[in-house]
Amino acid sequence: MPKIYGKIGLMGTLLGVKLHQNIKKVVVVLILLSIFIVVFNFTGFSRNVKDFFFLISSPIQKSFWQAGKSVSDFATGILKTSTIKKEIEDLRFENQELLGQIAVLTELKRENEILREALGLGLEKESELMLVRIISKDISQDSILVNKGEKDGVSEGLTVITGQKVLLGRVGSVYDRFSEVVLISNKESSFGARIPEREIDGIIKGKGGFNLSFDLIPREKEILENDTVVTSALGGVYSQGLLVGQIKTIKKSDVDPFQSAEIKPAFNVNNLDYLFIITNG
Amino acid sequence: MVKRIIFFVLIFYILTLLQTSFLVHFNVFGIVPNFVLIAVIFINLFGSSDREKVFSALIGGFYLDVFLLNSRGEFFGFYTLILLGLFLFLKIILEKYVRFPTIKKI
Repeated sequence: MPKIYGKIGLMGTLLGVKLHQNIKKVVVVLILLSIFIVVFNFTGFSRNVKDFFFLISSPIQKSFWQAGKSVSDFATGILKTSTIKKEIEDLRFENQELLGQIAVLTELKRENEILREALGLGLEKESELMLVRIISKDISQDSILVNKGEKDGVSEGLTVITGQKVLLGRVGSVYDRFSEVVLISNKESSFGARIPEREIDGIIKGKGGFNLSFDLIPREKEILENDTVVTSALGGVYSQGLLVGQIKTIKKSDVDPFQSAEIKPAFNVNNLDYLFIITNG
Repeated sequence: MVKRIIFFVLIFYILTLLQTSFLVHFNVFGIVPNFVLIAVIFINLFGSSDREKVFSALIGGFYLDVFLLNSRGEFFGFYTLILLGLFLFLKIILEKYVRFPTIKKI
């Protein structure tokens, strides 16, 4: 019997020593991690580290981005040949319609200029744009990284659009040579928008995964699918008149004083390489 | 061990760049699998030593902290902590509840 007790005692001591050593290790790791987190977050060192890594990785990321885009386009081309054919036909038809509208608008523009001149009003100041290139994308958070930063004059909150004046989002974190763009579909994003043809105002909210919802539309107002939604000056987040997207589905309830709609964003990040940052507004 | 760490540094770097720049074009309903996370889980399940598993979690977490954009306001070190937590979780599960069948000599 004493032999067994002796063995159990020895095992207990060994287990105790092992446990003690493990706790010691865990404590050391936790202390080191705490120091790491404090140093990186409270001294702003994380910005420098990120900037450094973005800088050394940007050539590789550019190549990966291009390669991914080419392969994706090729695969889409093969898989969706029939859909693409139909889409081309539709776009041709739409293009003809738009050409007609452009002709009318050009005439209106000329008329507008003449009237402004007659009334002595100055033309609206054109936006100053900065060309940026997409480097990487974080799908889970609806944000992208672009190749210009604080050193190029980018600051937090600036509006980002595509070449077709489609609203993409605003600048989030800014690093020395790179900036993060928070897309309008990000869950944290909300801003005022309107359907110009029907003069209906509401709020656009990001839903994540490149989805948008158009909320707080009065129930009595009539909205239709494919209605175009643009930004409004409401809330002062974005300047007005930037294209957001089209109404996809409408949600209406008898008990709810407001109706809402899902929006199909006018941008497709996969097809974009270059963007513009509006530097003066 | 040093060779293994250098291997992790390189492989996780490539995986992170692939994830943020190449595979984003092939998302399914806006979802891209997190390959760094998958690699860390794989190493933690089938790796041989604890040191190797901890280093994989630390290196993988660091790269995710650097390259994933923190638009939701995560602090730097968030993913490192998550992956270390994952390491501890898997270690406890594997030690306490998983038994690999072994051939015993009769």
